[in-house]
Amino acid sequence: MVLGTYKQIVHARSTDKQIQKISQDGGIATGLLCFALDEKIIDGAVVAGPSDEMWKPEPTVALSSDEILAAAGTKYTLSPNMWMVKEAVRQYGLEKAGIVTIPCQTMGLRKLQSYPIGVRFVAGKIALDIGIFCTENFPFESLKTFISAKAGVDFSLVEKMDIGKGKFWVHTADDVISFPIKETHGYEQSGCKVCLDLVSELSDISTGSIGAPDGWSSVLTRTEPGETIFSQAVDAGLIETKPMDEGKFGLEMLTKLAKSKKEKAMKEIDQRKELGLPVPYKASSEKEDPLANV
Amino acid sequence: MSEKIVISPTSRQEGHAELVMEVDDEGIVTKGRYFSITPVRGLEKIVTGKAPETAPVITQRICGVCPIPHTLASVEAMDDSLDIEIPKAARQLRELLLAAHDVNSHAIHQFLIAQDVVPADLMVTAINSVSEIRKNAQYVVDMVGGEGIHPSDVRIGGMAKNISEVARKRLYARLKALQPKLDAHVELIIGLVADVGFPEGLGVTTAPALATHQLYGDRTKFDLERFTEILPESWYDDPEIAKRACTTIPLYDGLNVEVGPRARAEVYHGFKDKGVVAQHVARAIEMKAALSKAIDILAELDTSAPVMADYDIRGTNKLGIGAIEGPRGMDVHMAQVNDSKTQFYSALVPTTWNIPTMGPATEGFHHDFGPHVIRAYDPCLSCATHVIVVDDEDRSVIKNEMVRI
Repeated sequence: MVLGTYKQIVHARSTDKQIQKISQDGGIATGLLCFALDEKIIDGAVVAGPSDEMWKPEPTVALSSDEILAAAGTKYTLSPNMWMVKEAVRQYGLEKAGIVTIPCQTMGLRKLQSYPIGVRFVAGKIALDIGIFCTENFPFESLKTFISAKAGVDFSLVEKMDIGKGKFWVHTADDVISFPIKETHGYEQSGCKVCLDLVSELSDISTGSIGAPDGWSSVLTRTEPGETIFSQAVDAGLIETKPMDEGKFGLEMLTKLAKSKKEKAMKEIDQRKELGLPVPYKASSEKEDPLANV
Repeated sequence: MSEKIVISPTSRQEGHAELVMEVDDEGIVTKGRYFSITPVRGLEKIVTGKAPETAPVITQRICGVCPIPHTLASVEAMDDSLDIEIPKAARQLRELLLAAHDVNSHAIHQFLIAQDVVPADLMVTAINSVSEIRKNAQYVVDMVGGEGIHPSDVRIGGMAKNISEVARKRLYARLKALQPKLDAHVELIIGLVADVGFPEGLGVTTAPALATHQLYGDRTKFDLERFTEILPESWYDDPEIAKRACTTIPLYDGLNVEVGPRARAEVYHGFKDKGVVAQHVARAIEMKAALSKAIDILAELDTSAPVMADYDIRGTNKLGIGAIEGPRGMDVHMAQVNDSKTQFYSALVPTTWNIPTMGPATEGFHHDFGPHVIRAYDPCLSCATHVIVVDDEDRSVIKNEMVRI
């Protein structure tokens, strides 16, 4: 099962025009967090908010819809959201915290909840984890470097970045430049090379653009709370859904990419293991399903 | 004929102490000597020569019952040595932290004396009440201090972070809701202590009360000129005890003193009663004062205000004093910073002040009451828990001289 355990998988998008305008794809993370906040399912959320520097996100505790909206859209660089989890429930006083995580952070979050060493009373106060699909992530300097080198645009002129159809897209005010995603290889952080998780398998709800038509997201609901919040948001009319496209550009593509990420990572893990390097995963010979995220 | 009653270690206490009472034929204590048998700490030596920021982090480990006062006394001493004026909001947060800790710590104290004062049929009620209060007080410490036991956010120059507006409102609501529960708890404890029927005058001493502030601490009220420190050899008239006692004897105006909630009540509120019952009553009443203070601070705290001052870490070798009124009494830390390093560090912890006072407080009553007196004053000695084994081979130091358990 390369997509992890899930209850349902659909295409979805936020019906809110404002969210549609600023979000990366279907605006699911933004829409769900705003909904959960309004319904008091969460009382705040750790998100990748804006910082003083363009395109450099900063882990932020959002306490209002405005702050959540300010964090909408994907930034293709690291935002160590786990770093704010403890602060969110301590100094910010959240009792039911929401959080947006990429797969590595999702794993970190679940580990923190399973072994709450140094995070007393934190584990039980995480109410909702929205996991984002992720193939790899880039350190900020990497991102800056390859955008100016490959796209030939000044970093400060970039208005949106996107990955799709095998390409990295850079939107400026009057131009759209793209280059093959392959050309970004070597710029990603090295940990991504051993990551077995594309779809945030341990989150409450996973979402991302892979396998979805433009302007829509693919959504997997995984846990009881995740399923409940998602269906409530759908019932409230804030999110519209349509059945998952099972075809070549839908589920098939998502499965294919998730599988190939795992296969590539497993190769690297086995290689590193052979060299005696520390890797926080089992070698393929040590587990029943060589693609399992363990 | 005089007989000697030795309780070693004294029970339901944190750390190890010994109570030696000489008693007459009726079992009445004629001479009480109380002393710590927990060996040298050495924490002051650990922080010497290191960066000033090390001191609060290390010295808060002096005790797990009293970590907040030690952290605060340490940063206050450093603030003083480095001539830092901390922002108003930082001061409020520190006061809030200590007030919440006071409530929590007094509740722990009441848990430790529960066996002495609570009848079996009320034990569950009393313990639940203690737990409820601690849970809420620690919630405040968690959020304001960053950690419930060893606070990470109390820093030289102020606090690491202000709390959010959400946290402020939440804490305010939670403490407001705690108030009637605490009132009932205090009434319960005072009633139970009265019901025990402790003999009149038990635990009364002539030692003067020493306190620097009603609840927080004020270094200007601690006059270093009036303070002296002598070795146990010059205090205990029994050479065997003097040899084994592990703390120095601090004196103020040449006298041993009493510190703690009753001392604070006497100095600042004209509280006249003394002795075991008065200790318990003053402590219980102080919980209410501390909670009210915490609520008042939360009502007026500006959560957007800065909480960290700009300062120069290099220092001028000024002797800085931090005096904090901990739950068990005045906790004074002293520090000198020069060349960005701690040159000198010394801590005068609450229990050290009380130790020479608690022994004589047992005198004049049956020795059965001895432990009651000790627990009424102070249930912990952990300010002195760090063992040094001199000879690893035969461990003779520990076995023969120090802690005999």
